[in-house]
Amino acid sequence: MFKKIMSQASNSSSEPTVKHGVEIVSTPSFSERLQSLIPWRRRTSAVPFSSGSQALLFILPGLIIYVVFVLFPIIGTIRYSFMEWTGFTEPEWIGLDNYRELMDDEDFIKAIQNNFFFSIFYTIIPILIGLFLVSLMSRSRLKGMFIFRAGLFVPQVMSPVVVGIIWRWLFDYSGPINRALSITGLQGVFESVGLLRRVTPWLGDFTYAPYAVGMVGTWVEYGLCMVLFLAGIQSISEELYDAAIVFGANPLQQFWFVTLPGLRQHVLVAFVLTFIAALRVFDLVFVLTRQGGPGRETIVTSILVYKNTFNLHRAGYGAAMAVVLATIIVVISAGVFWLQSRDSENA
Amino acid sequence: MKKLSLLLVVALLVATMGTTTAQDEEITLVVWDNFTREAEQEMIEELNAMFEEMNPNVTIQREAYDTSDLTQLAPRALSEDNGPDVIMVNQGFSGMGALVEAGLLLPLNDYADQYGWWDRYAEGLHARNSFSEDGTEFGTGNLYSVSNTAEVVGIYYHKSIFEELGLEVPTTWDEFVSALTTIQEGGYTPIVFGSLDGWPAIHTWGAIQHAYSDLATIDNFMYRAADGTFETEANVQAAETMLGWIENGYFSPGFEGMDYDNATYGAFIGFEGAMWLTGSWMTGSIVEDVEDAEATVGFFLLPSAAGEEVPLTIGGVGLGYGIRAGTEHADIAAAYIDLITGPEAANLLFAQGYLPAITPEEYESGTLTGDVIEAWELISSSNKVGHYLDWTAPDIAADIQEMMAGEVSPDEFTANVQEDYESGE
Repeated sequence: MFKKIMSQASNSSSEPTVKHGVEIVSTPSFSERLQSLIPWRRRTSAVPFSSGSQALLFILPGLIIYVVFVLFPIIGTIRYSFMEWTGFTEPEWIGLDNYRELMDDEDFIKAIQNNFFFSIFYTIIPILIGLFLVSLMSRSRLKGMFIFRAGLFVPQVMSPVVVGIIWRWLFDYSGPINRALSITGLQGVFESVGLLRRVTPWLGDFTYAPYAVGMVGTWVEYGLCMVLFLAGIQSISEELYDAAIVFGANPLQQFWFVTLPGLRQHVLVAFVLTFIAALRVFDLVFVLTRQGGPGRETIVTSILVYKNTFNLHRAGYGAAMAVVLATIIVVISAGVFWLQSRDSENA
Repeated sequence: MKKLSLLLVVALLVATMGTTTAQDEEITLVVWDNFTREAEQEMIEELNAMFEEMNPNVTIQREAYDTSDLTQLAPRALSEDNGPDVIMVNQGFSGMGALVEAGLLLPLNDYADQYGWWDRYAEGLHARNSFSEDGTEFGTGNLYSVSNTAEVVGIYYHKSIFEELGLEVPTTWDEFVSALTTIQEGGYTPIVFGSLDGWPAIHTWGAIQHAYSDLATIDNFMYRAADGTFETEANVQAAETMLGWIENGYFSPGFEGMDYDNATYGAFIGFEGAMWLTGSWMTGSIVEDVEDAEATVGFFLLPSAAGEEVPLTIGGVGLGYGIRAGTEHADIAAAYIDLITGPEAANLLFAQGYLPAITPEEYESGTLTGDVIEAWELISSSNKVGHYLDWTAPDIAADIQEMMAGEVSPDEFTANVQEDYESGE
């Protein structure tokens, strides 16, 4: 009964629209009102372009940059992926050989698996943390809230190399994490149940390193999720919460039946952005575990692309890896956007 | 008036043309090297000034890059018409091999005859700077570079700790192994070691591997000879020995999480451990950072486990100087290489804490630097200089880490390296 009423309520409310995953808060009603308030502005916008060529002229600068720096390199990469090329000698056309080799390349398969493993830490956990933080922040009025919000967002704006160096130090064998463990006596407790070694080499141990690297990813990405959800939650009508309270919903139910459905679009956007980040991660791993160690435990695709292209002079093979990675990203993003558009049509 | 001025200009032009052809042509020699530290820069500038004095028409335009940048930039830079005339080249298939294959380096055999470079150091060392003309066979064919520095992987030790525990420098494998237990019982880490960066594992395991192996087997593997293989009894034994040392706690606790520059180095100079198995390139830093290091720190070679008198030891010559194939100033470039790899340079390099490829005129026996020079002299004159395995097996650090962590058995480890080795051909 309660659920039914709430869904009716939520249908009647104005849903925030998200276009192309970029506009987070869009308030069409407000801009419409603005347009009607400024007559001269409406007049100018009503004048159509006299010709298509004039429109082209405005697009041209951006188009040139896009073609030269984005489209052309992409096409080049695809072309080189069919070639045997050192990066500096004459490339030789070899058809699908690079792709055939990729299918049997254990390192590459391991790297793709690792990328998906890291996506748990880059995508799912940050979204959960983001939702949790937002539900805490938005429903309570604390003084100095903006400091919390800004502070929690800091990891997201830091350079990944800086993040990597900070965490390398934290994870160091004589670093703060190991010290804290031994000072608090937790070291002894964990050691006695066989969970930790005498000195835990977080980034060098086959068991802990993947989680340690993943955790840093979580630390970087949750801020983005939090800010996206904070923006989203503000466009959920306060009336919905009032209605929920009237029907006797506790905070958990308010979150589940009001906040979460209202944030669905934002969760999808957060998913796409963080998932892409998980698949193309390079710098963080490069700094934290020096090209994917120990062994190949934290190796990711971008590291392999780099190694093959620049260290082993196999630019063609590296290009093939990059194409496969890009294809995976495009397919998954397209799937999510399709879900999203279907979702907003239904709404 | 107009005519006169024109005449003057023409006369002036002819005059200047006359002077340039009368003297030697002005030449700018572009040199790329990897001496990036400040003190090294001064040393190279000094040598360059010496060269410019000897050849007044030559101006040297020098650019310094760290080794990894240099290696990555080399292929593209050498393809340019105005690229470096002289460049330091990294050894191995992905370094020199790729450049030779692309026809970017000039063979130096004739210059080596002319200047007598062959006699500078042992023949086996020139092989490291040699490739077949098509860049596919390593260690044979043409000479493509000449080195001025050398490296030897051995053991730095604190003399005070050895004295405290009543230890002498071990000369046999058994003495070395018993020293490990003595040091451990004395409360010190026997060997400081950190494998977080990957590559130090190549040197530590590689040193044990060399102790068990003979040069021919390792040469064949490195140069990809027909019977080159990694699946040898010695390699399996070396892996088992390493695992035993890990099990016994002979290495730093938590070594998997220790990096080289800070943690491992810190553990040695902080007297946490008695010995450090690493390359002679750390001598300069140790002399700088440890009080009276010349007297209190020593260097010795890991004894042979195969019972050889002179142990087979990882080492070699540092990056060599090569000449760009397309240069117009090959003769001048060769003259420059003659100076920069010659005896004057050796003395200056030694003063900077480097181990020069040719023995410097003056050094003191019994000091740290003396120990290092004598160790190098011994192995290079006895043809006992081994190899850095990653020249041929670029991914071997990851394989060694997997073996050390028990992810794979010693047999699987050698099989994995062999598999990568074969697929890389």
